[in-house]
Amino acid sequence: MKASGALELGEAPKGSTPKSVANRGISILDFILRLIAIIGTLGSAIAMGTTDETLPFVTQFNRFRAKYDDLPMFTFFVVANSIVSAYLVLSLALSIFHILRSGAKGSRIILIFFDTAMLVLLTAGASAAAAIVYLAHKGNAKANWFAICQQFNSFCERISGALIGSFGGILVFVLLILLSAVALSRR
Amino acid sequence: MMNGDSTTINITETRKETKGEAPLFAAPRVVASTSVVANTSAVEHPKGGRYKKGIAIFDFILRLCAIAATLAATVSMGTTDQTLPFFTQFFQFQASYDDLPAFQFFVIANAIVTGYLVLSIPFSIVCIVRPHAVGPRLLLIICDTVMVTLTTAAAASAAAIVYLAHNGNSSANWNSICQQFTDFCQSVSGAVVGSFVAVVLFLFLVVLSAFALRKY
Repeated sequence: MKASGALELGEAPKGSTPKSVANRGISILDFILRLIAIIGTLGSAIAMGTTDETLPFVTQFNRFRAKYDDLPMFTFFVVANSIVSAYLVLSLALSIFHILRSGAKGSRIILIFFDTAMLVLLTAGASAAAAIVYLAHKGNAKANWFAICQQFNSFCERISGALIGSFGGILVFVLLILLSAVALSRR
Repeated sequence: MMNGDSTTINITETRKETKGEAPLFAAPRVVASTSVVANTSAVEHPKGGRYKKGIAIFDFILRLCAIAATLAATVSMGTTDQTLPFFTQFFQFQASYDDLPAFQFFVIANAIVTGYLVLSIPFSIVCIVRPHAVGPRLLLIICDTVMVTLTTAAAASAAAIVYLAHNGNSSANWNSICQQFTDFCQSVSGAVVGSFVAVVLFLFLVVLSAFALRKY
């Protein structure tokens, strides 16, 4: 029987099967999510880093000026967000590489490892700052910690808003890790 | 008609054919000289299987360590209660974890993570027994990622408050309460350390699951 034609099964041309199209779609989505995360974390770093409020009155004993580096947690927040932004910009190159070459497995694992490490760093920075922002809003009667937001309104608004971009970045990172895991398991 | 070629065409019966569900004239896949990979029996590629089983066992052990770490953190934070032996009419001299919302969040989050880890042990065992199963592994990596976020959030916010309790902050006029409540401070700091250990273990768990997801 002339089986030569029928024996071409299983050798479908590369790059056009539904599976590889889906993998390419995953890589493109990964790239787009990274861009969104860059905007979020960079915005947060800048928003927190440019806080500086001086109240219009002054006495001899008290400071009436609030900056982000008055609180070490906010400094950590700015540093963590900057590091994560820089990492995301660098990992865009790897992401583009994955779009072009969907079969790379080792680099995907490296990407997952670094993504998880950056997720941990970002979450640590964001939640430390969130704890202090909560304290700044509400104070704590038991520890005699006064709510500084009652005096420094615009400083407070700035630091609260800076958290939003960072938490958005956390969400995007979780999605990125999931996408990489799904892409790894499909090959 | 193939003359001169002595190609042996191996028509291995797939399970579908033995069950009678597929026609026997389905074209046999003769791909050069490599043997046909048409039998879908449970014989996996041995090299990948052993490797993945080792990863799964290591994953199981790490999970047990993480349970210990988060449980210790929860208990250590949850049983803090220190009352100083003196009191005045105006001030409280009692410190407990539920005086600070960040610590309440810490206890709740670590309790949730401990519960999740205990529930994920069966999935981990399934991954040991069936090293090539993708479903449980993928579920584990997804849930582990979410839990690493939760654990880190709880640990970092508690760490921020503990730092403030140790050092205070002069710009905000916040006093450091650790100088009065030393036992409270110690157990709280220990709880935060235990939680960060759990975060590192989770990081390893996620990377291990990523390794095990590869198809060889």
